[in-house]
Amino acid sequence: MIHLHVEGEAVNSKLRIHETIKCDVLIIGCGGAGLRCAVEIFEKMPGTRVIAVTKVPHPQKSHTSTAQGGLAAVDPDDPVDSPAYHMFDTWKGSDCMADQNIVKKIVESAWTQVIWLENHGMHFSRDEAGNLSKRTFGGHTLNFGQSSAFRAVFEADRTGKGIVDTLWGEALKGGISFINQSIATELLFEGKRCVGAVIFREKYGDFVKVLARATVLATGGSGQMFRVTTNCRQNTADGLALALRAGLPIMDPEAVQFHPTGIVGPGILASETLRSVGGILRNRDLEPFMERYAPRMKELAPRDLVARAIEKEIREGRGVLNPDHNVEHVWIDLRHLPDYVHDVQIPEVTGFFRRFVNIDPRKELCPVRPSNHYHMGGIPTNEFGEVQRGAKETVPGLIAVGECAAASFHGFNRLGTNSLLELITMGKIAGERIIEYLSQDPDTLPEVSPERTFSLFARFMDEKGEENTGRLRQEMQAVMTEKAGVFRTEHGLSDAVDSLRELYERAGHTSLSSKSLRMNQELVQRWEFDNLLAISMACALAALNRRESRGAHFREDFPERNDEFNHHTLVYMSEFGKVDFGKRPVDMSIYAAGGENYEKFGLIERKY
Amino acid sequence: MRSRYSITLRIKRYDPDRKRSWSQDYKLEAGRILRFTDLFRKINNELDPTLAWNSSCEHAQCGTCAVKVNGKPLLACELLVENAVAFFGTTLFRVEPITIAPVVRDLIVDLEKAYERIEKIKPYVIDPVENPHPGNAYQVSPRDLEHYVEATRCINCFCCATACISSHRGFMGPNAVLASVVRIMDPRESAKAERLDMLYSDQGIYRCHTSMACSFVCPKEIDVAHFIALAKAGRFGAKGRK
Ligand SMILES: Cc1cc2nc3c(=O)[nH]c(=O)nc-3n(C[C@H](O)[C@H](O)[C@H](O)COP(=O)(O)OP(=O)(O)OC[C@H]3O[C@@H](n4cnc5c(N)ncnc54)[C@H](O)[C@@H]3O)c2cc1C
Ligand code: SF4
Ligand code: SF4
Repeated sequence: MIHLHVEGEAVNSKLRIHETIKCDVLIIGCGGAGLRCAVEIFEKMPGTRVIAVTKVPHPQKSHTSTAQGGLAAVDPDDPVDSPAYHMFDTWKGSDCMADQNIVKKIVESAWTQVIWLENHGMHFSRDEAGNLSKRTFGGHTLNFGQSSAFRAVFEADRTGKGIVDTLWGEALKGGISFINQSIATELLFEGKRCVGAVIFREKYGDFVKVLARATVLATGGSGQMFRVTTNCRQNTADGLALALRAGLPIMDPEAVQFHPTGIVGPGILASETLRSVGGILRNRDLEPFMERYAPRMKELAPRDLVARAIEKEIREGRGVLNPDHNVEHVWIDLRHLPDYVHDVQIPEVTGFFRRFVNIDPRKELCPVRPSNHYHMGGIPTNEFGEVQRGAKETVPGLIAVGECAAASFHGFNRLGTNSLLELITMGKIAGERIIEYLSQDPDTLPEVSPERTFSLFARFMDEKGEENTGRLRQEMQAVMTEKAGVFRTEHGLSDAVDSLRELYERAGHTSLSSKSLRMNQELVQRWEFDNLLAISMACALAALNRRESRGAHFREDFPERNDEFNHHTLVYMSEFGKVDFGKRPVDMSIYAAGGENYEKFGLIERKY
Repeated sequence: MRSRYSITLRIKRYDPDRKRSWSQDYKLEAGRILRFTDLFRKINNELDPTLAWNSSCEHAQCGTCAVKVNGKPLLACELLVENAVAFFGTTLFRVEPITIAPVVRDLIVDLEKAYERIEKIKPYVIDPVENPHPGNAYQVSPRDLEHYVEATRCINCFCCATACISSHRGFMGPNAVLASVVRIMDPRESAKAERLDMLYSDQGIYRCHTSMACSFVCPKEIDVAHFIALAKAGRFGAKGRK
């Protein structure tokens, strides 16, 4: 037993392993990625003992359930679309940073996975003939950029929910055991092999050790690094932090996507349709400012350009302050649009403005601002989802899938509808890999003990001072939004790094109001804050290091892409703020194969 | 239009360590479009970090933040201060956990327990009908889908089950019925008889007394009672096999 310096015997004695559970596969995260992986295992190897952990009170509450738009997949019966076009769009969107072996694998298996979901009961929207409906989505084209492709299948405005409902049901059928409202606090290793994790069960306030022959990280996004985000409350980059603490690298943490028009406050997406149907962006003086930034395209300019224009208006003092949420924004003007457009083309978004900011878009201006949306970076994996220790070597027994992983399918900029696709394809591929691994691996599990969890939690219990974690977190979010968000500069990023160090220091002076372990959200928030600080730091340092602009990463002082940086960033962090960088080459196997249209997969320009 | 409100949240609290419950007043100055989840966060950051409350997406899509405000079950993430003042005609709000499962702490209930009802009715295709075109999607006419698509929108927030008196007395509850009805109406499911048995069991729809409270409170505006009425009217075929 480790000796702890914790106040009071009671707490001290609770910082121990309450129970050890053994299983074949431990899945950390029950969104689309984790559940798809679980179901694959049950289908191919019924009877496998799978335990899945989720931070939310129930798997159905995972963030995938919030995804609306759809999921991209080329229907082989489509007379005009082709996987090659989808691969090209993804490659171009990624700003030449997606790995082509992954792109090929995912795009080619897409339709089969859509059919699998349908056959298992997902309620896709249908066309008149009873087949799956399809719609267009930004960045998805036919003929290498010529016209929009009808490539996104969907379940009304709740595609992600359809996926989670279906997968959760199938996982139940397969006999999964869930550990809900619980957090994985540490990965366990025997030598270099991952053999499970420590789980803190919030409801009971105790720690269990789950020993597993294979462990899957599927913890989702990290949006809580930023002030206004479309992400859920639980997206605090836990999986990435677990990897870093285990001495493993994370890849491309600087690749963070911002959506130009999140609704002020809750950060709900006001879809791009608003701009395509004629919505006009206006600043404090009601000037239609896009004319200055993109005289020809105006509101229809690509996502990142619009986001930068809005951010610039705000930074130059032409934004509007919302007093309630205390955030600055611009307006989107929809008042001039005919009723037909409001009723038929944008009813959902109109509903969001009504519901969440009490505004009638027919009569009033609507407040929007760039919002954090997606983390392209994550835990580096190969094409099977196996976690990498460096550019090549993998970690036996450890898999990562979904938004927390970087294979990388999205490179430096993700196309809409490509994330849900990644979950269901890579989730399955990872499941297959695990089955192979299980059949080779001897069915023995070593007795290992946690090394970090208890000292970390004892530290949180022990900290004394006047600081409040919630407020510190708000400060961190403000720093990241201002200095490491849509616009980045050498100076701003250096400032951010300094501020993060200071916040880390101050976090040591928070004191918990309650030392109970049972459903102590302040304690969990303290733990999450450590994760957020670590990943924010990795993001800021990697952004500082990348002196170029690429995809969603925009350096005002280096506005052009530079081939010198044509590689993934690997970041290792031995202690807070102390990082080592590594590189991973970008796979260009489609280009190298020299087949038909191979030249489209070279280092092409990302111009729309 | 007022820009700020002085409001009081009278929150029902519960401490599992001492097994003690009490109600606590939090006085807040709040902007008009802050949501109740924003208020809870504000309480944590400014007044009391120990108040425990649940939420996840805060976009009214996951149903994690359901609470009772002045007796009405609703989603805290979509209740704006000025709407609450207008709707309830007061600036004092009693906030309590939903009453469908044991309380874990303060506003957090044991949703796992609540979900047992849903798991019991098997929320998946039990036995798929043979696919006439293997390797392809089943064909489902949009007209057929229209009949039950409303029921697929349920997010299991348990607001309806909280409002339903019968669901506190052995009834599986309105949302479990919905989940079941979805698969009864889904042409891809063949295990209709097993499903009807569950629906007409002693925890089934005959416990519902058609108060329609479920439809009234549903934040997704699903007409839950309509689907229950269809079942009662025998619209799904034979009543079980007993
Ligand atoms: C508003 C919105 C709309 C979107 N719309 C689309 C769209 O239309 N199309 C598209 O392709 N993509 C869309 N995306 C992106 C996409 O939804 C996400 O990238 C994707 O759902 C992530 O899935 P996941 O399975 O990786 O993670 P999640 O669904 O976020 O699941 C993560 C899981 O891990 C658990 N977890 C996290 N940390 C821990 C821990 N420490 N211990 C235990 N469990 C943990 C969580 O509780 C959860 O169960 C959208 C995203 C947002 C925010
Ligand atoms: S109509 Fe039936 S299910 Fe709905 S609230 Fe009343 S008793 Fe409950
Ligand atoms: S039917 Fe409505 S109120 Fe009931 S659980 Fe579903 S969404 Fe919530």
